[in-house]
Amino acid sequence: MLTVLSWSWFSVLVFLAPQGDDVCFDREIVPVLTKAGCNAGSCHGAAAGRGDFRLSLFGSNPAADHRSIVDAFQGRRVNLHQPDRSLLLRKPTGELEHGGGQLFDLNASESQIILKWIGQGARRHAAPPLERLMVTAEQTHFESVPNQTNVRAEATFADGTRRTITELVTFTSMDPTALRVDSGREIQLLRPGQHVLLARYMDHVEAIQFSAPLGDAPSNAHWETAENFVDREILKKLNELRLPPSPLATDAEWHRRVHLDLTGRLPAIDAVKSYLQSVNDTTRAELREKIVDELLNSSAYVDYWAWRFAGDLRMRSFPNEKQPLAAYHDWLREIIKQDQGFDRLARLLLTSDGDSHVIGPANFGRTVRDAREHAELVGQFFAGVRLGCANCHDHPLDRWTQDDYHGLAAVFARVQRSRYVSFGGRGDVTNLRTGEPATPRIPGQRNLPALGDHRSEVADWVLDEQQDLFARVMVNRLWKALFGRGLVEPVDDLRLTNPATHPDLLALLARDFAANGFRLRHTLRRLALSHSYARSKESLPGNQADDRYYSRAFPRPMEPAIFVDAIQDVTEISEPFAQANLERAVHFVDSSLPLPTLDALGRCQLGPSCDATPTGTYNLSAQLQLLNGAVINQKLRDPRGRLQRQWAENLPLEQIVQEWYLVALSRSASPTELEHWTNELATNDRQEQQQRLEDFAWSLLNSRAFFER
Amino acid sequence: MDKKMKQRPVRCDGVGRRDLLKVGLLTGWGLGLSQYFARVVVAQSQQRQTAKACILVWLDGGPSHLETFDLKPDAPAEVRGPFRPIATNVPGIQYCELLNQTAKVADKLTIVRSLTSPLGEHGLANQYMLTGYEPSPALVHPSYGAALIHLQQSSGALPGYVAIPKAGSAGAGYLGSAYEPFATQGDPAHPSFRVPDIDFFPGVDVDRLDRRRAYLEQFDQRQAEFERLAPSRDPAFAQAYRLVTSNEAKSAFDLSQEPQDVRARYGPRTFGQSCLLARRLVERGVPFVTVNYSGWDTHADLVLQLKEGYSGAKSGVGLIPTFDLGFSALLSDLSERGLLEQTLVVAMGEFGRTPKLNSQGGRDHWPRVFSVAMAGGGVRGGQVIGSSDRMGESPRDQPITPKDLAFSVFTLLGLDPNTELLAPDGRPVPLNQGGQWIQGLT
Repeated sequence: MLTVLSWSWFSVLVFLAPQGDDVCFDREIVPVLTKAGCNAGSCHGAAAGRGDFRLSLFGSNPAADHRSIVDAFQGRRVNLHQPDRSLLLRKPTGELEHGGGQLFDLNASESQIILKWIGQGARRHAAPPLERLMVTAEQTHFESVPNQTNVRAEATFADGTRRTITELVTFTSMDPTALRVDSGREIQLLRPGQHVLLARYMDHVEAIQFSAPLGDAPSNAHWETAENFVDREILKKLNELRLPPSPLATDAEWHRRVHLDLTGRLPAIDAVKSYLQSVNDTTRAELREKIVDELLNSSAYVDYWAWRFAGDLRMRSFPNEKQPLAAYHDWLREIIKQDQGFDRLARLLLTSDGDSHVIGPANFGRTVRDAREHAELVGQFFAGVRLGCANCHDHPLDRWTQDDYHGLAAVFARVQRSRYVSFGGRGDVTNLRTGEPATPRIPGQRNLPALGDHRSEVADWVLDEQQDLFARVMVNRLWKALFGRGLVEPVDDLRLTNPATHPDLLALLARDFAANGFRLRHTLRRLALSHSYARSKESLPGNQADDRYYSRAFPRPMEPAIFVDAIQDVTEISEPFAQANLERAVHFVDSSLPLPTLDALGRCQLGPSCDATPTGTYNLSAQLQLLNGAVINQKLRDPRGRLQRQWAENLPLEQIVQEWYLVALSRSASPTELEHWTNELATNDRQEQQQRLEDFAWSLLNSRAFFER
Repeated sequence: MDKKMKQRPVRCDGVGRRDLLKVGLLTGWGLGLSQYFARVVVAQSQQRQTAKACILVWLDGGPSHLETFDLKPDAPAEVRGPFRPIATNVPGIQYCELLNQTAKVADKLTIVRSLTSPLGEHGLANQYMLTGYEPSPALVHPSYGAALIHLQQSSGALPGYVAIPKAGSAGAGYLGSAYEPFATQGDPAHPSFRVPDIDFFPGVDVDRLDRRRAYLEQFDQRQAEFERLAPSRDPAFAQAYRLVTSNEAKSAFDLSQEPQDVRARYGPRTFGQSCLLARRLVERGVPFVTVNYSGWDTHADLVLQLKEGYSGAKSGVGLIPTFDLGFSALLSDLSERGLLEQTLVVAMGEFGRTPKLNSQGGRDHWPRVFSVAMAGGGVRGGQVIGSSDRMGESPRDQPITPKDLAFSVFTLLGLDPNTELLAPDGRPVPLNQGGQWIQGLT
C-alpha cells in the first residue's frame, strides 16, 4: 500500500508503509547482513566492494544497500518469483560458489527472514531512524569465572516506538578469550577482570562491561568513607575486583614522585633533607599541601606542562620561520603559568587569526596541512575522538559519520594557513560520501549554514557541559601524567566502544575540572593529594598482576627528555644540545627537530601515531648508548661535574655515597647500604678509586630506582 | 564436525570474526585453540628442512606489482604503464625490463602474484604484512623477526634481529622492546659508516663493564625486594653486554672488510650496501635481517621515480634499477657461498598499486592483488605462484593472504605456526592464526 509520509526526517517522499508482519529492510535485513559479516570491511563492506557487490560498511547506508541488492546487477540478486533462487540467498548458503564461504544454511533464521522479505516484494519501507540502543545484561558483575548471563537489547526509534531486537544485534567481544557470545545472547565470562562487549544495531554501537574479581582480597566497604571522590571511586573498583590496596608510600617515595610528576624534575638535595626532617604524622598533611602548591607555582612546572601539551598539540617549526614556534610555545607557557582556564585555551586555539609570528594560538591551524587534518587534530585534541576513519566511511566503532567528518573539516576549509592566518576567501571540502562540497557541521548534532565562520561553535561543542568532551580528554591526560595510565587508553581515543576502566571517575573528574574553570592546578592538586596517588610501589601478594586499577603505584620510566634532564641535574653537567640557547630537554618542543641523544633513547617523534608512554625496557640501541655513549659516561668523566669534584676533594666515601643517594634517589642511604657501598668502593689507589666511583654512579643512574618515577 | 574443520568457511580475508566465534565454540566443547589449529595445518608443512636465517627486503610504501613482477603488456595503455616486460632465464616467466639483472636469477625465485589484503592504508597494511595479523587496537602483534628471536632466544654476541638502516614498522609488538630489531642507523654506503656506540667509552674496559654490571644488579635487586616483585632482567642489557665485549661480533658490521669487487657488485647506493651488510650478518649467524628500502609510495610520475631517480638521469638510478642491482647481487652472492639454501629471502612491500594510472602518471594504493618475491631457504626457484586477472586488479587464482604468507614464512624458518606466545596479560596467542601453507612453494 502506498502512503505519503509526513515524517520530517525523510526527504524522500514516497515510501511503503510497513504492514503488520512486513519484514523491514533497514531494521531487519541490514542487521542480518551485518551479523553475518557480509558488510564488514573485509568483504562487501570494503570501499570497492567484493565480487562487484558493494554494501555500505556495517550497513550505515541502507538506501544504497537496497539499491545494490535490488536494482544493481540487473536485479539478479533477488528473484521475486522464486525467492529461494535469489543470489542473495544462494551465495551465503553456499549453494553457489561464494568467496566468503557458507555463512548460514537455508533453514537458518537468517535465510528465513531474507526469504520472507523477498517474498513480500523486497521493498524498503519507511523506517524511522534509531534513536537509542540500550543493551542490558541480567548481571554484569560476577563473583567467579566461568560464569554466564544473558543480554538483551532494546531499540528506541525516532517515532517513540520501542522494540526488543536482541536477536538482530551483532555482539562482538573485544577479547574472545575472556568473554564469549554464544547463540546470540548468552554471554560467557571466562577470565577475571573487566571485559568489553560491543553491540551493533543499525547505525548504533554500544559497549557494555562485564567483570569478575581478579584477586581474593576480602570485601570491605572502606571505600564508602573515603574523603574524596578520587579515592572513593578507586577503592570501590578495587573492592569490586577484590584487589588489595598496597600501603601508602614512604614519605621519600611520595616526595620524589610528586616532584617528577608535577615538574618533571627531581627534588633538590636540600628539599629532600628538609622535608624528611620535618615530616611526621602531625605535619604530613599540611606539609604535603604546601609542597604541592609550591611545585604548582614553580617555573619548572610551567616548563614541564608546556612540554607535555606541546606534544599533544604537535608543535613544530616551519621551514625558514623561527618565530611561529617561539610565539606558540611562549603563549602556551603563559597560559599555564597564569593558570588560565583551558576553556580559554581551547577557544583561542580554535578561533585565533592574525600574524602567526606574534599570535601564538594562530599557529594551531598552521601545524596541519589542510582542513581535514585540521578537523582530525581538533577531534583528537579537544574531543578525544579519532575522526580519521570517518573520512572514507562512518566510524565503525563510534557514532561519527562521514558527514560529521567532512562537515567538521568544512568549518576549517576557509582558514588561510599562511603567516597571516585569516578566515575567508575560497576553500571547501568535498564530502567523499556525496561527492559534493561538504556542509559545515557540528559532529553528531547539526548542520550549519554554508557561509560564515563557525569556529566558535566548534568551541561551544567541545566545551558543552552536557558532554564535557574537552574536559574528559583533558582530565584523562592529567590522570595519565600522574598515574602512568589513562583511565581510557589510548589517552585521546575516548570512543563509545573503548570504555574507561573507571567510567564514573572519569565523568566526575571532568565535571569537577569544568566546574572549576578548566584550571590545571585545581585538578592536579586534587590528584596529587589523593591517597590513591600516594600508594607505594610495594606490591601485595594479591595485586602483583594489577596494571590498571591502581591498587599499587605502577613503576613508570621517565620519558627520555625527563631522564636526560635528570642526568644533567644529578651530574651537574649539561647535555651538549646543538641549540646552545636551550639547556634542558623539556625546552625542545619542536617535534620536527631531530635530537640524536633523545631519539636513540626512544623519544617520541611527536606525531599522530605517537603514544608517549615509555615501555620500561630499552631496546639494544638505547642500551648501547647508555653503556658506551656519552650521555652518562661523559658527564661522569667531566672534571667540573659532581663526581669528579667529590673525588678531587677526596671526600669520605660515606659522604659521597650519601650525596648520590640524596640527589639521585631522593632519599638517604640506609646504614646497611652505606656500609655496603663504602666496602665496595674502598681502595688506596687514587686512580682505582676514581674508576670505582664512576662505576658506582653509572650503575646508580642506570638502575630502575633512578629512572623510574 | 571433522568435515567442517577441514573445509573451514574461509571468508574473503581468510578467517574472520565468525571463525573465531566457532573456535570459541569448539573450546567450549573441550577442543583447545592449539588443537584446532594443529588439525588444520596442512600435513605438507611438516618435516621440511628449514632455513637458518631470513633476509626480508622491505620495500616500504608499496611497490607497483605492474612495474615489477606482474606486467600486463596486453592491457590498455592506462593500465600497462610505461615499461615493457622482458624474458628471464626461466622460459615463460617475464619480469619488468628494469629488472634485467634479477631476470638472470629468476631460476632462484618464486614470484607469488596473488597476494591479497583488504588494507590499503600504509600503517595498517604494514602491520598486516609484517606480522600476519590484521591490526587490532587490542594487541599489537610482533613482526616476523621479533617472534623468531623470541622463540629461539639465542645467546650469541650478535643481535638476532637487525634492521638496516632503520626499523620502520617492523617492531616487537606485545613482546616488548627487547625484541625490537637492532637498527644499524647511518648509511652503509657511506665510507665512514659505523654502528653507533658499539665500542667502549674511552677508559672503560671489560673489567669495569663487569663491575658496572654487578653494581647495577645490586641496585635493581634492592628495588625488586622493595616492590616485592621478581627482579626483572632486561634482556637488552645482556645483549648489549655480549655485543660490546666481542670484537668478532662487532666486525660483522664492518663493511670495509669486504673486498672492493664484492662491494662494487652490490652497487654503490645505500640499498645495495645494505644487502651486502645483510649477507655479512647472516653469514655470521644472525637469524633475521630486515633491509628497509623506502620510497615506493609512487603516487606520481612512475618513470621518474621508478626508473630515472632524478630528472635527466643518463642511466636509471631510480627505485627499480637500484633494487635490481642489490637484490640480484644478494641472491647470486648467497648462492655462490652456499648460503642460499639455508637463507630465506623475501622481497615485498605493504600492497600493490592501482591498475589504472592516475592523472599524475602515478599509481595509488592497491591491496587487492600484488606480488611478493621469495628465494632460498627451501623455496623452489624459477616459478610463479598464483596470478592476477587481466588488469592486475584481483587475484585470478590461488589467492594468498598475508596470513598465509606468515604461515609459510614461519614454517620455512622451522617454527610451528601454532606455537603459542604469551601476551602481556598472560593469555596465549598463536604465532599465526588462520593462515595456510602456500601450495607449491617448495
